[in-house]
Amino acid sequence: MAALMALAPRGFRHQHEAEVLWVHDRRAAEPRGPVGRAWFAVREVMGMVRLVTAAHRAEAAGRRGNGMTTTGGGAHMLDTLVQDTRFGIRTLTRSPGFAITAVLALALGIAANTAIFSAANAFLFRPLPFQDADRLVMLYETNPEFNWTHADAAPANALDWREQVEAFEDLALYSEFRGQGTWIRDGEPELVRYVTVSGNFFQVLGAEMALGPGMTWANTWEDDARAVVISHGFWQSHFGGDPGVIGQRMEISSQSLEIVGVAAEGFSFPNAETQIWSPYGWAPGAWEEVWFRRAHFVRAVARLAPGATLESADAGLQVVVSRLQEEYPATNSVMGAGMMPLRSFLTMDVQRPLYVLLAAVGLLLLLACANVANLLLVRANDRAREVSLRYALGAGRARVARQMVTEGLVLAGAGGALGLALGWVGIKALAAQQPVGIVGATSLALDVRVVAFTLITAGVAGVLSAAAPAWRVTHSDVHAGLKDGGRSGSRGRTSVRASNGLVALEVALSVLIVVGAGLMVRSVWLIRDVDPGFQPDGVVAVQFGVPSARYAERDDVWAFNQEFIGAMEARPGIEAVGIVQQLPLAGTSWSSSVIAEDWEPERVGFEILHRRADAGYFDALGIPLVQGRMFADSDGADDPLVVLVNETFAEEHFPGEDPIGKRIAYERRAEDAEYWYEIIGIVGDQHQASPSVAPRAEVFELANQDWGRTNWMVIRGSGDPDAIAPMARAVLRELDPLIPISQVRPLRQVWRASMQRDEFLLTLLGAFGLSALLLAALGVYGVTAQAATRRSHEIGIRMALGAERGQVLGMIVRQGMGVVGIGLVAGLGAALVATRGLESLLFQIEPTDPLTLGGVGALLGGVAVLACLIPARKAARIDPAETLRRE
Amino acid sequence: MALTPLTFQILLALADEPRHGYGIIKEIEGRDGPGTAPSTGALYLALQRMGAAGLVEDAPSPEDETDQRRRYYRLSPQGRSVAHEESARLEGLVAAARAKSLLGGGTA
Repeated sequence: MAALMALAPRGFRHQHEAEVLWVHDRRAAEPRGPVGRAWFAVREVMGMVRLVTAAHRAEAAGRRGNGMTTTGGGAHMLDTLVQDTRFGIRTLTRSPGFAITAVLALALGIAANTAIFSAANAFLFRPLPFQDADRLVMLYETNPEFNWTHADAAPANALDWREQVEAFEDLALYSEFRGQGTWIRDGEPELVRYVTVSGNFFQVLGAEMALGPGMTWANTWEDDARAVVISHGFWQSHFGGDPGVIGQRMEISSQSLEIVGVAAEGFSFPNAETQIWSPYGWAPGAWEEVWFRRAHFVRAVARLAPGATLESADAGLQVVVSRLQEEYPATNSVMGAGMMPLRSFLTMDVQRPLYVLLAAVGLLLLLACANVANLLLVRANDRAREVSLRYALGAGRARVARQMVTEGLVLAGAGGALGLALGWVGIKALAAQQPVGIVGATSLALDVRVVAFTLITAGVAGVLSAAAPAWRVTHSDVHAGLKDGGRSGSRGRTSVRASNGLVALEVALSVLIVVGAGLMVRSVWLIRDVDPGFQPDGVVAVQFGVPSARYAERDDVWAFNQEFIGAMEARPGIEAVGIVQQLPLAGTSWSSSVIAEDWEPERVGFEILHRRADAGYFDALGIPLVQGRMFADSDGADDPLVVLVNETFAEEHFPGEDPIGKRIAYERRAEDAEYWYEIIGIVGDQHQASPSVAPRAEVFELANQDWGRTNWMVIRGSGDPDAIAPMARAVLRELDPLIPISQVRPLRQVWRASMQRDEFLLTLLGAFGLSALLLAALGVYGVTAQAATRRSHEIGIRMALGAERGQVLGMIVRQGMGVVGIGLVAGLGAALVATRGLESLLFQIEPTDPLTLGGVGALLGGVAVLACLIPARKAARIDPAETLRRE
Repeated sequence: MALTPLTFQILLALADEPRHGYGIIKEIEGRDGPGTAPSTGALYLALQRMGAAGLVEDAPSPEDETDQRRRYYRLSPQGRSVAHEESARLEGLVAAARAKSLLGGGTA
């Protein structure tokens, strides 16, 4: 809306801009349903356009000195506009084939732009549900040794920042980790999804409570931590929206927690599914402990103090960072920190793909415009007689040009309306597959920005499409037009040149888009071919947690796990069952520094991934033992600690050596090491993060030695995989009805999900690539057909003089392909430069991949030949006698 | 002078006290229901025209007003008399409708 307002005359803006925008913002903030919002947005944009044009008219009238501020001087212009529009619509409805083609081409381009802009809007422009969100900054830790650039902070460091950086009004902590707790309600277990936060989380973000006082900073600490805030959705679904919910208690994972607040509707930051925000409940003494500065698991958000800037706050932060480096050398010697605006941080990963997509749809729209321009050019030529007549009757060139542009705008208006609808439906459908927007904070909306963007895009497209024909019409020779009588086939040389230029441009643009799509297709195919290092088919994983209330000790937990494994194995059709802390390719991992017993003192392996598993895990997932031995029953909980390592670990940390029998510890100095683990075997690599990221060095501890309460059970069956999870649920219910299964994930789905973003990009770019191909083919066809028609007389004579059909065919195709060739060369040249922007999104291929470039060239060339052949065959069927008779 | 419905609505909204743009919108919605108010652009277009026609004029902001962005409008004497005439005309129409039993409480 502000962008529209910026188009108003300066005097008007000076007087009214702040006022009008204020009223608009107030109204935009009122609650509305989705339909109401869209309708409001459309009306506001239309109203604003009227206001701005009226202001211009009034100003122009004022300049001319007639002092009328309402109609008067503007009336004439307005009448002309209405007249031109009516005339435009009338001429267009007289040639519906042309109008439909042009509107569809523009609608395609505009729909793609609307869809992608809606997505960009959700990420980059929609207001965050936080007050004064531009004063919020995200802090992160950096560590060159670990290759960390935006890492989670260690809580002790973040707490020191909170106390010591004066430029922060306050600082809150939260964890991205999605916790699951068991809520015992009327004796029935139910899983609830929670995130842990510091007590001041909502206050720092400026997110208001729908109900209740909410938490305070004091709740962060153990003595005061029995308070939770529940989400609005959870309040509705589980408490029926009861306003008396504040003060009620929930028994979650054996703790009695008091509900102190209900979050505002739609607020679920930082996850999409958050039901409960629960305070960390740290012991006050934790701050002094080493692990509190070593474990990195909190995100720190700060609100800048009044007057502070990002720069001044960062300067203050760096002072504290240096102080901590000196004070805590064991954990902080190379630990740095940085900050950036919260929104930039939350959209860091999507910015590159969004810009690529915006560039692609921008090109697609240009392509559509070139197409329509060409169609209009052809028509302009057909209408040379009409135009000449209008000149002769005294119409000015500007008036005729304006008529052309109005026609372009009428086409674009229809294309824009259709494009808005198509684009919106399209992005909604895509968003159902892959959520669009900042998780838990913003989402897709057909708001004023989207409507205004579409309107402006359509306007620009209309003018662009009409520019060449308007120029052509105003520069044509009046007398020639009248004399010539607009006989078909007489086109000026400039017009032909303009047409050919436009087709070359179309071909070049589509080469660019199709190359981009082609690179993504190749990339995703290569990613799909990557062996994840395990066999996902037929394997289902279920997550469960063993509560401390009834299973207090390590041995109790392990005994239960053993019982569960045994009961599953006994079921028919179950081939292998195992336990693992985290699934591969699921995006979660723990990492530590590692040393080996016989390494020299300074040597450390940084950022070694590790998780606990049992022998059944490797069996169920078909992960090979490469060397040494597997975990065995004889490796008891109290026996010497043993680990398996993956091949990458063996290659990176014991190059040319046999690691079997070596002992390692999760420390940086041998004298700190309390526990030493013996390497007993090497297993095959599994991709941990995604198929496109190479496997990292990894260590597997034995699940009954390094125990934990929450685990995944992986189950391979020979029958229907869908039957496995219900079976596990039934077994668990028999063993302990109060332990629920918190997640079910078929491994095949885990594998697919890890490629989702790449496939999403592929789908979109692929669709744009196909559209581009279609538009380019249409353009080539149109121009070749025109050329063939124009030369039908000449062809007739040639054939009368004995030319063969094949010769005629070759002549037409050659001529068409000459233009295409220029476009191909230009497009491939541009692609060599432009696709560099794609580099970070590609997997194992260069942006200049010769196979892709060559393939695209061949594909477009082939399509262009086909597009030329159709009119050429028609031309070759010309009956020479007929041509001569007409002469 | 025939008044557009929007012009009359604005005159009506300002009849009792000066209001800012958002206040006018709220007043119209309060009377005719949500979604009945004009778009923000249409409101200010109408206010511009009414100002040029001498129906409304700027009013001083109330003393407790801190937000510079809120400008207040009030009826000019001419606006008040136009509103009066239009109301009388509408009243005449309503009386006619009542006489033809289009409304309850007719005297016929």
